[in-house]
Amino acid sequence: MILATTPLEKLCAIVGADAFVTGEALGTYRLGGGKPQAAILPADDGEVSKSLACAWEEGLGVVPWGGGTYQSVGHPPRRYDLALDLRRLNRLLVHEPADMTATAQAGIRMVELQRQLADRGQFLPLDVPFPERATLGGVLSGKVSGPLRCRYGTARDLVLGLRLAHADGTLTKCGAKVVKNATGYDVTKLYLGSHGTLGIILEATLKVVPRPEVEQGWWLAGHDPGTAQTLADRILGSHLVPNRVEMLDEAAGRECGLSGSGLAVSISGLPETVQGQRASLERIAGESGIIAAEIRDVEGIWRALSDFPWANTGWSGGEVHALWRGGAPPADSAKAMLAIREATPQSVGVSTAATVAHGILRGRFRSEAPEAVVHGLRAAREVLGALGGFLTVLDAPASVRAHVDVWGPAPEGFGVMQRLKTAFDPKGILNPGRFVGGI
Amino acid sequence: MDGSGLAPEIRRRLIQACQRIAGPEGVVSAPDELRVYECDALTYYRSMPDLVVLPTSTPQVAEIVRLCRDVGVPFLPRGAGTGLSGGATPHAGGVMIVLTRMTRILEVDLANRMATVEAGCVNLWLTNAVKHAGLFYAPDPASQQACTIGGNVAENAGGPHCLKYGVTTNHVLGATVVLPDGDVARLGGTVADGPGYDLLGVFVGSEGTLGICTEVTLRLMPQPEAVKTILAVFRTIEDASNTVSGIIARGIIPVAMELMDRETIKAVEANVKAGYPLDAGAVLLIELDGPRAEIEAEAVGVEAVCRDQDCLDLRVAQTEEERALLWKGRKEAAGSFGRIAHHYHLQDAVVPRTMLPQVLREIEKIGLRHGIKIANVAHAGDGNIHPMICVDTDVPDSEGRAMAAGSEIMRRCIEAGGSVTGEHGIGLEKREYLRFMYSPADLAVMLRVRAVFDPAGLCNPGKIFPEEEPAGAYGFSPGPLAVPRP
Repeated sequence: MILATTPLEKLCAIVGADAFVTGEALGTYRLGGGKPQAAILPADDGEVSKSLACAWEEGLGVVPWGGGTYQSVGHPPRRYDLALDLRRLNRLLVHEPADMTATAQAGIRMVELQRQLADRGQFLPLDVPFPERATLGGVLSGKVSGPLRCRYGTARDLVLGLRLAHADGTLTKCGAKVVKNATGYDVTKLYLGSHGTLGIILEATLKVVPRPEVEQGWWLAGHDPGTAQTLADRILGSHLVPNRVEMLDEAAGRECGLSGSGLAVSISGLPETVQGQRASLERIAGESGIIAAEIRDVEGIWRALSDFPWANTGWSGGEVHALWRGGAPPADSAKAMLAIREATPQSVGVSTAATVAHGILRGRFRSEAPEAVVHGLRAAREVLGALGGFLTVLDAPASVRAHVDVWGPAPEGFGVMQRLKTAFDPKGILNPGRFVGGI
Repeated sequence: MDGSGLAPEIRRRLIQACQRIAGPEGVVSAPDELRVYECDALTYYRSMPDLVVLPTSTPQVAEIVRLCRDVGVPFLPRGAGTGLSGGATPHAGGVMIVLTRMTRILEVDLANRMATVEAGCVNLWLTNAVKHAGLFYAPDPASQQACTIGGNVAENAGGPHCLKYGVTTNHVLGATVVLPDGDVARLGGTVADGPGYDLLGVFVGSEGTLGICTEVTLRLMPQPEAVKTILAVFRTIEDASNTVSGIIARGIIPVAMELMDRETIKAVEANVKAGYPLDAGAVLLIELDGPRAEIEAEAVGVEAVCRDQDCLDLRVAQTEEERALLWKGRKEAAGSFGRIAHHYHLQDAVVPRTMLPQVLREIEKIGLRHGIKIANVAHAGDGNIHPMICVDTDVPDSEGRAMAAGSEIMRRCIEAGGSVTGEHGIGLEKREYLRFMYSPADLAVMLRVRAVFDPAGLCNPGKIFPEEEPAGAYGFSPGPLAVPRP
């Protein structure tokens, strides 16, 4: 027997040679121009724990991986020795339809999770870009959400509990498997959206809901943003229970297969209730002189909306593009969209969508000139900042990143956040430097 | 012993400093007046603070916290004192910061459907203030006529209508918090999803141990188009709880689904005469809300499930008065127990909703085994049960039996895959039960969070986390400084 002596040999011994990747094959784990020394694909929680304990001991920088769909978010890692790929932890462990809860491992792909939940008539109401590749763990670590949050909220509202591996390999759980729980601190919320910097999510217990019998969608097109805002406010303040109320500018509309700017609205439920709500929606739209046109290809359009602005539609090779996400008070969604367009250099192509219920904007800037994109991002951040909001750059080339902090200024409570990071990961091995303020 | 045993000279100087900060009328220091603050609604634990301050602004709260920090004296927040786990009962004396003079609704933002209130604002006031605009604030703890929003945030309060709308944490958008070092931080706000760790998320439900919230921004919801309230009467509690599972399994999520058993019905009828049938084994109060067409369709489904479970009677409230009366019975259930017991322990636990029939059956057996009466009220749709463990002071060791039964119920709920509290919090009462649910490593994570926010351990000490040494076979430790009522 050969004794494992180097850190990499030790890791290889833990996961086995088949689950240990080095050399050329590491290309898929490239981040910010850098590659790790190795990638491992542990088979179970125990192997994750042992691998982390080893990385902790050796002081290796660890980047957790799922489908990689969101890895462009954040700074490049300060130190990147090991990619910890969780895609072998890919099972739906429990689904209790009568409790409307499910527990799944982090590495399960979203599309696979939804398929298995659908077998028993339910789904996780979280629409994310690229569900064929994105894993549950990645979605929760990035707190990714889509237009469906209008009705169902975000991971914050849907995750009941987590199982985690900490920096030194310690396994813990938080939350519970029941829908209501006030036992101790709600630390679950700390890990959601922490981009793997506090601990690595291994498993999540989720609230799931019945698949609706019918879902219909309408495109309320062809009006100025001010009218769109008024219309959205009236819909959201009415008795209607829409699944989505998504405001699109003309460019975003085009990318999603809709013509002009407008509001995309969807409503689901029993056939008779959808009909009742449809009548109310048509009345509200009519009062603003707008026609609610039924969307025929609902599946395709919702898919395009949740992929926006990530989907690669119509980029020309020579262009620099930057994807971003921002927040504003909900009633200022249209105002923010307009102001961002106005503040951005004319040479920059802008497409923007807003989930009006929560004032969450998603957008893309593109231009042949990186400095114009940089200028646009800075201006958009200023616009949103003046409304009390924020802007995060989701993806941009190094030529843009060099001039814009992807996370923006340090948020309120940043000192507490830094101390939390130190308390959870004192050696700074988990996704080092990637989060806000270089956490 | 009450208080922290502060040296009289230090106490005198603290009183003076607090009077300077909050005005002489904002400080309570006479022993007989302090008595008011010796416990919350869990009266089993009593312990006096060294003094009470009632500030009127965030800067005043911050100044008091800094003063406590500098002197090294513990401090804790208190709202209306309606909490049920001892969270607002001093554990080590110190300065109690009472927020009931900070009661303003600072802003109602109709366009964004949000409101910002001071921590001492009473829960129900908010809904009353936005009713005219067709909005409401969803979390509705039974004490909503008295409890404060600040207390709701500390405890992550629930209520009957949380089945559909979620608990406090799902409705808090932002909070102004005085951190234990006296710094003021604005967590969250009118804009969702800001970058950084979700400090607001961990703050809500931290039971006043991570700081004191002074202002809160809350989500308001549009009132539903229609509401339908149904009273379903059953022969047995089992039929009723099977009905709950059946309704959820059909994919219907009522806004509330409240279960009351025979003992509860007796108590309620003796007290408020809500019209619950005395010969029933259990009743379910089911409320549907939403678009009219939707609730009509759902009501058909609900009725079908009730009939499948041999429901004895189904009554639909025809008027707002009838609806209010049906709810009055539920809301005053706890208060009605004085009619059937000398006093009682109101428990709080959660089980997976599919486990309700089994767990309720076992609770009955636990009661029989300990020779005490246990009545049951439950937010059944959430699996959130509230066993009322009755204490008959004429029976020897009734208090001890009630404790033992309570502990056994908790263990059983955990075995069933549940949680030891759904909405009341851990406070002083359930510190030892925390271990039933979480491993030392799980708890160490929480303690790390605690240490980050409050390294000096002065902010509401002695709450949530188990004592170093667990006391007694049933782990029910009143703690060294909180003395049980004689």
